This record gives sequence, structure tokens and C-alpha cells, in this order.
Amino acid sequence: MPDTADILRLESLQVHFPIQGGLFDRVLGRPAGAVRAVDGIDLNIGRGEIVALVGESGSGKTTVGRVITKLAQPTGGKLLFEGRDMTAERGSSALRPYRHRVQMIFQDAYQALNPRHTVFDIVAEPLRSLRLVKNNAQLTERVSEALAAAGLNPPDDFFARFPHELSGGQRQRVVIAGALAVRPELIVADEPVSMLDVSIRAQILQVLVDLRAKHSMALLFITHDLPLAWLIADRIAVLYLGKLVEIGTADEITFNPCHPYTVALRNATPQVGANAGRAELPALQGEVPSAARVPKGCRFHPRCPLAFDRCRQEEPPAIEVGPQHLSACWLAK
Amino acid sequence: MSESTVRYSPRGRARAIKGFLRQFLSYGSAQVGLVCLVFFLVVAAVPNILVGPLQTAINATGDFLVPPSGQHLLGTDEVGRDVLNLVVHGARISLMIALLSTVISLVVGTTIGMTAGYYGGRVDVWLMRLTDFFFVMPSFVLALVITPVVLEVMGRGGEILGFRPSLFVILVVIGMTSWAFVARIVRSQTLSLKERTFIDRARVVGSSNFNIMVRHILPNLVPQIAANGALVVAGAIYVETSLSFLGLGDPLQPSWGTLLSLAQRAGAASAGAWWYLGAPGVCVLTVSLSFVLIGNALDDTFNPRRRVIP
Ligand SMILES: Nc1ncnc2c1ncn2[C@@H]1O[C@H](COP(=O)(O)OP(=O)(O)OP(=O)(O)O)[C@@H](O)[C@H]1O
Ligand code: SF4
Ligand SMILES: [Mg+2]
Repeated sequence: MPDTADILRLESLQVHFPIQGGLFDRVLGRPAGAVRAVDGIDLNIGRGEIVALVGESGSGKTTVGRVITKLAQPTGGKLLFEGRDMTAERGSSALRPYRHRVQMIFQDAYQALNPRHTVFDIVAEPLRSLRLVKNNAQLTERVSEALAAAGLNPPDDFFARFPHELSGGQRQRVVIAGALAVRPELIVADEPVSMLDVSIRAQILQVLVDLRAKHSMALLFITHDLPLAWLIADRIAVLYLGKLVEIGTADEITFNPCHPYTVALRNATPQVGANAGRAELPALQGEVPSAARVPKGCRFHPRCPLAFDRCRQEEPPAIEVGPQHLSACWLAK
Repeated sequence: MSESTVRYSPRGRARAIKGFLRQFLSYGSAQVGLVCLVFFLVVAAVPNILVGPLQTAINATGDFLVPPSGQHLLGTDEVGRDVLNLVVHGARISLMIALLSTVISLVVGTTIGMTAGYYGGRVDVWLMRLTDFFFVMPSFVLALVITPVVLEVMGRGGEILGFRPSLFVILVVIGMTSWAFVARIVRSQTLSLKERTFIDRARVVGSSNFNIMVRHILPNLVPQIAANGALVVAGAIYVETSLSFLGLGDPLQPSWGTLLSLAQRAGAASAGAWWYLGAPGVCVLTVSLSFVLIGNALDDTFNPRRRVIP
């Protein structure tokens, strides 16, 4: 996809959280380390494109989402929106135009809704704070429209309800309605269906897919579920310990994975592409190391069945293995 | 989608308040507390209708230290004033001081505690130093320090908001010594609230820090503020009583504390004039107890998990 079509770009994005050393360390001036939650990520999202960010727990997915939605400040690298550097922008009024165009859907809808606000107030909040409506009639109209688009019908049945008076699926729809109300161009969805019943998941996913079709809205879909990513996304980026190990079209990553980690991830979910793809590898061994102690060399080498000497010393760069398909592995051709 | 089966009334907030009241009023302690409180509020609202104007040594109606009788239901004091008359007028002063100083304390304590907790960092450090300073400040010492200042500013005969200077001092002193307690509770609650995801969402949808504090954090602080506010009133009544008892009250606008102090000085205890000490004493106890009962019932209503198992 050409650069001009990108709505968002991350350039060597880095988020390190300092570790508070004990008193002893501080007195001795010993440097306390850092949690390298995100450790140099390059990612672009095209206009109207759905990109899935896949990775295990603790790989830094949420942190990437929080940087994009300006909830976390990166310690390095850049966040570019339509080519404009947003990395240093701060303050609710300065960020208003950005917030108008970039919204977020949260994993736990129950936590994301203020228990003392009604559904109407929740969905109206962005319209009020971003000053997108002129009067109450317009406000009511936009709130109804957003609730309906999120699948809550008839909308005015829900206006006066509190979050605890809704089902889990309805709550997630309210969160989605709040994000939709401002008609954003990019939505970051952080595991939007992982807390929901399987029966409701499909409906919620349908809402998200419809949005792209109707309003050509871009979506960064964060998930730990590779088959789900394949189902919804145009491209998939695989994250391991704060670094992208492989990125490519959804079909390539699912049926023709190149990086040993992606292969192992796919093997862990037998229903998709069980017989397709390259060399079969044994299932993943061991735990994900802590982001506070990232292994030297290729960060996957302690768990990689194919690891060899070079992997323990040098970190592999992203190597192009096909059109739009990059893999950070010394074995990538 | 047939996910909605119940039709809800359009007034969400009214419905929530109704549900809250039903729950709150189901507690026996809330009922007892409210009945006592309403009784004293009515008494404080219309003292002249109930017992006529405040009696002084000049318009006193009885003999010295007469025990309760048909004519003087609660007896008389050492200058012949009707004790019932004094206690009823005292209710107004005592309750006014207690409620107004609680308002000061809640407004100051909530503002400072919420600001410190929300912004954190250096703001938090300095505001909490200030809070600790007031937290350990004894009210009597503070009263001694600011009395001359207030008298200087207002003059001895002046009035402010209908209060004579010494009462105004008591009001300010209680407000200033009790907000630190509120600020600490509000700060710790704010620290946990600001980590909640709905604050992140509020930021993403563009709410300013001020709106996040006022619309998101403050409503979630209401339970703590209300429950502790009732305890602050109870404490304020005690402090008011003790400050007046120590002689900081105003004999021209006697509160219950002032009456206790007068009774003690007149030797009511040794003279066996139990009615003179007992009437204001029982009032102080009843009112502060009813606020404690209301506070506990509020706490239980807001935190169903902390309810005692019967
Ligand atoms: N505020 C923070 N301070 C310190 N460390 C943090 C902070 N936020 C995240 N981390 C650490 O950064 C790493 C990445 O966390 P993140 O929440 O981004 O992972 P994730 O991929 O979203 O995981 P999950 O699937 O469990 O949600 C973790 O090791 C986490 O402990
Ligand atoms: S670089 Fe080496 S250790 Fe890393 S994934 Fe490739 S083969 Fe495995
Ligand atoms: Mg996460």
C-alpha cells in the first residue's frame, strides 16, 4: 500500500516502563532496569484497512493501543497520523482534533463504563467534550444513530439505563456506540470480544466489519486469537515480547507463515490451515520471558526449536520474504 | 435484536435515587436517626413559636434553679431562665454551627483530596503536607490563634452571617480542623478510581481533566463523602460542645455547649440541678448519635458487601 494512503504510522515505537529499584539500589546508584513493553515497532495502517495485532499475553499489544490513543507516552520512536507527528501532542484541548478521528474500544466493557452514568450520557460524552453538536436535538439524534449502528434497537429504550442493567454484549455495544458517535477514521479495538460469549462474538464482529464497509473506517484489531485475526483482518502483525516478528496479509500469515513463532501459534490452533503451510514444528515450549529481561539476540531463541548460534548473539532484522510480507528471523529467505 | 425485554422509564437518575432511598430507609438505624434528626431540625427551625423568644437574665420567668414542674418542664437555671427555652434556642446554634462547618470541611477536603489524588506527583506531596499539618492541629489551639484575628477584622459587636464573632470562630475552627480527615479519605479513593478503565475512556473521548474529576470521579466519591460527612457532623457537634464548654462560646447566643459550660460554672452538679446539665447533654448525645446512625446506614447502603450478617 503506498505511503500516502496510510492513516497511521508507527516508526521504531518504543515504550519502556522504568522499574522502581529498591532503596538499596537507589542509595548505591545502581540503575534499575526497565520493562521493555514495546521495543521498536514499525507499523502502518491504511485508510479503511483492518490490521490485526496478534500476540500472547504480555507481548505489549495493549501498550501499542494505548500509545495510539494517547493514553501512554512512548519513550522513543514516532506516532504519525496522516504524516503529522503526534508523538509530543498533549492536553485535552490540543488533542481534540485527534480524538475526533481516533477512538478506542476496550476489552472489558464493564470496566470501561462509569457505573454512575446512563447509556445516554456515556454515548453523548464524546459529542459534548469534542463539541461536535450544537444543540440537544442534534445530540439526541447522534446518540440514537450511534446506538442503532452498534445494534442497540430501539435506541431510546437504552437511554436511561445504567451499565449494570445491561448484558455483557449490550455493554460492549454501548462502548462501540460511544466510539462510533464521533464518526472516527481509526478505531483501536483491544480484544473487543474476548470477554463475551461465543454466540455474541459473531454479532459484535459483524458490527465492526459493517462499519468498515459503510464508512471505510480503519481498524487496529488487537487479539491473541490467530483464527479470529484471519477472519476479520486484511493484514496481520505478530507481536512477541514488544517486537513485531512477522507481518503480512491475513492469508499469508495464516496459511504461509514464515517465522517459527507464527508457525507455533498457528499449530496451537488446529482448526485453521491444519494441512497447509510449511514445515511442521513442535508446539511451543516454556513460558514467555518477562519483558523486564528480554533475551539477547533473537528474543524468541530460548523457545525456538530452530535456534542456532547466530540467534543467540545477533537480533535478526525484518526481512522481506514476499510481497508485503516481512519476517524477523535469520532463517527467512 | 430482542435483547431488551423490560421497558425502562426515561428518568434513569430519578429511578436510581428512588431505589437508593428504598434501600436506605429499610435500615432501622436510618429510621431512628432520621426521626431524631427531623425532630431537632424542626425545633431548630421555629424556636420562637415553640417556646417564645430567648430568655435572658432580664426577661427570665422563674425562680433560681427550680426543678422541672408543670410551669418549667425542664426547670430553670441560676438566674431563673427556663431551661427548655434555652435548649430549644441552643438547638439552632448548635446545629447551624455543626452543619455549616461540615459543609466547609467537605468542600475543602474533597477539593484538596481529589486534586492531590488525581494529579499525583509534586501536587500530591505538597497538598498532603498541608493536610497532615491541619490533621494534627488541635482545634483549641487553632481557635486561640484565630480568635484575635477574627475579632480584629469584625469588631467585637459585629455579626457575620448572623453569627457573633466567637461563634464564627468556632465555625471556622471546626471546618479547618476536620477537612483533613475528609481529604485523606477522598485522596485514597481517588487514587484507586483514577486507575479504572472508565477514566481512560473519558480521556479517549476527549474529556478534560476538570470534567473527568467533576463528572467521573466526584460522583463515585459520593458514597464516601456522604457516609463520612455524617460522621463529620457528629464530630463537629462534639467539638463545638467542648470549645463552648471551655469558654469560647457566646453567652448571648448560647449553644448546647455554652449551656453545659454555664451549668458547670453555676455548680449545677453539686447543687443537684440535674436538669440543667442533663437537658443540653442529652441533646448533644442524641443528635451526634443520630448522625452516626445515618452515616453507618449510608455506608451500608452504598457498600452492600460490608453489611453485617444478622
Ligand atoms: N504501566 C505499566 N507499568 C509497568 N509495566 C507495564 C505497564 N503497563 C504494561 N506493563 C508491562 O508491559 C508488558 C506488556 O503489557 P501489555 O498490557 O501491553 O500486554 P498485552 O499484550 O496487552 O497483554 P494481555 O494479552 O495480557 O492484555 C507487560 O509485561 C506488562 O507487565
Ligand atoms: S532468528 Fe533464530 S531463534 Fe529467532 S526465530 Fe529465527 S531461527 Fe528462531
Ligand atoms: Mg492487553
